[in-house]
Amino acid sequence: MYAHLFSFFYLAQEAVAEETTQAFSLVALSNQLVNGIGIVGILLLTGLGLAITFGVMRIINLAHGEFIMLGAYVTFWMQSTFGMDLLLTIPFSFLITGAIGALVELTIIRRLYGRPLETLLATWGLSIVLQGVIKLIFTAQLKYVKSPPYISGNLTLLKDAQGSPAIAISYYRLFIIFVAIALLVLTGYLLNKTDLGRQVRAVTQNRDMARCLGVNTSLIDMLTFAYGCGLAGVAGTVISSLKSVSPPMGQDYLVDAWMTVVTGGVDKLIGVLAGAFLIGESSSGIAYLLNDPTARVIVLAAVIILIRYKPEGLFTIQKRG
Amino acid sequence: MAQSTIGIATRSRTPTRLGIVTAISFLVMVILPFVVGEFQVSLLSKLLLFGALAISLDLVWGFTGILSFAHGVFFTLGGYAMAYYLKLNLSAENNTYGGSLPDFMVWNGLTELPWFIAPLKYFPIAAIAMVLIPAAFAFLIGWFIFRSKVSGVYITIITLAISSALTTFFISQQAYTGGTNGITDVSKLSIFGINIPPNGLYWIILLFTTFVLVGSWWLTQSNFGLILRSIKENENRISYLGYDVASFKIFIWTLSAGIAGIAGGLFVPLNRFISPVYLAVAFGTQVVIWVAIGGRGTLIGPLVAAILLGQIQNSAERVTQDWQLVVGVLLLIVVLFIPDGLVGTVQKLFMKKQQPASTKQPVIDHN
Repeated sequence: MYAHLFSFFYLAQEAVAEETTQAFSLVALSNQLVNGIGIVGILLLTGLGLAITFGVMRIINLAHGEFIMLGAYVTFWMQSTFGMDLLLTIPFSFLITGAIGALVELTIIRRLYGRPLETLLATWGLSIVLQGVIKLIFTAQLKYVKSPPYISGNLTLLKDAQGSPAIAISYYRLFIIFVAIALLVLTGYLLNKTDLGRQVRAVTQNRDMARCLGVNTSLIDMLTFAYGCGLAGVAGTVISSLKSVSPPMGQDYLVDAWMTVVTGGVDKLIGVLAGAFLIGESSSGIAYLLNDPTARVIVLAAVIILIRYKPEGLFTIQKRG
Repeated sequence: MAQSTIGIATRSRTPTRLGIVTAISFLVMVILPFVVGEFQVSLLSKLLLFGALAISLDLVWGFTGILSFAHGVFFTLGGYAMAYYLKLNLSAENNTYGGSLPDFMVWNGLTELPWFIAPLKYFPIAAIAMVLIPAAFAFLIGWFIFRSKVSGVYITIITLAISSALTTFFISQQAYTGGTNGITDVSKLSIFGINIPPNGLYWIILLFTTFVLVGSWWLTQSNFGLILRSIKENENRISYLGYDVASFKIFIWTLSAGIAGIAGGLFVPLNRFISPVYLAVAFGTQVVIWVAIGGRGTLIGPLVAAILLGQIQNSAERVTQDWQLVVGVLLLIVVLFIPDGLVGTVQKLFMKKQQPASTKQPVIDHN
């Protein structure tokens, strides 16, 4: 009975297979690599928040994907009720997810400092709860967010003989990487050049000493966690128009964000950029040579091997134990 | 012989009582199919298997401190081994295309059975594969990660990545695994030509779970279990004492994966299909939740939690569609307020009651 349905899929698949098994061409590969920049942007955006919560605070936050999801829902909600432009919702999504992050830190994370496995479990529970609550409010239906009309179309870098674009990247992907790098720079500035950032680093390096010197450590903890969650919210807003918005969407980004952060190492923010670049470009390169699922499996396996030999990440400075 | 004295010292009256309780519950479970309906028998069989899976995770997490989200993976690998056996033994008229080749392979353009699946047609080979494949896979992973300085949290992240990668892999290999749908419409279980009725399957499962429970209990009460617990408490100290921590971890990890594999293998004739759903992180999480709620390191706790939560879920799903939300809230509450889990807390309460009563005033007797 279902056989017809499946044979249809089978045919469709074959058609796709024919399309992709063209002869190896440098132009197509470069197109794939240029578009890999879009993946790099997403990885960087989603990994950045984790670089704060995990990298700076050492909190294993498995609800990170859900903060991305919350950001996307904030945008959806503001767009559907006030008709706001996606760009305009970014600050709101930052503030709202940040506030929820602060609340979570106060009620859950704070009780579990120094117990990484318990934190991991609790945030996993939190992730289920957040998904459930959003499902209660917005239902499980897929929602769609409109991307800003002025960021549309493709940037053509190279045309082929017929004049159709051979290497092109959509402006929206460029926009994503732009936002990601802007946030990276901003975060680096906040962390390294401001008073607040100095306090944050002081707390992570020596909590007791920082407290003795008059730093309000619990406030700093809360602010840092909230900032990391806020970044995840911004990521959610920017990503929301790429795919549909749904309660389990965060799960898709969670593993990838973790891989990015772990690959790059968390000592320096620039590690996130390096991790995102490595993972994004290698997956789109391998995807061109083989196919998408294989690329994902190979990249994940590579990351596992990397964690085994260098759990502190590729781009960390050797420190004395 | 300091070790053996400790071993004796922990052998209080509680195990005897536990044994009696277990024996009674076992007997009750044995006669249950005559009392409850067909649906309940099938549900209970499923929950017993989930319980066995949870016990296998408890062995590595509750006793050795390795939190794994990959136990669903071992479960499913065993499941696939059994699913191939059942699928390949469909009689020709039940098969969609009349031939001996499974339907999903025909759809995906295979003309003959791949060499690595063909041997699973025979029950002994399938039964061995059901244990051996997950165990060998786990051994490889364990050998790779436990002999390094990788710490607890990173191991958990690795298990997440493994689960995610394998899910993608199984979905992508449609011709061999049936893709997203997995292996469906398998035959009923028959061993060497003897058909196993639902009640028979239930008893097999009940025996298996009881065996896993008692075996795990015996293992963890032994000196070996003592070493496992010491690894969880203080890994450095136990390695300074001259124990090869990695070997112990690899052993228990492999054993636990083997148990999970058998549970998965028994799950398929019951469920009548296996799919990448059980490979995914969400199912792995489910197992973690049973252990956390039941109580880490209690063995019986995860089993009880799996059965209880499954029963509640079964009745709750008629009322609400947001069962997952309830589970999430439960998990949060357990982690924050009841770190010992349900059974762990009950045990502690009993011990507190017993100790003052036996040391101070033996006069008070509640008989």
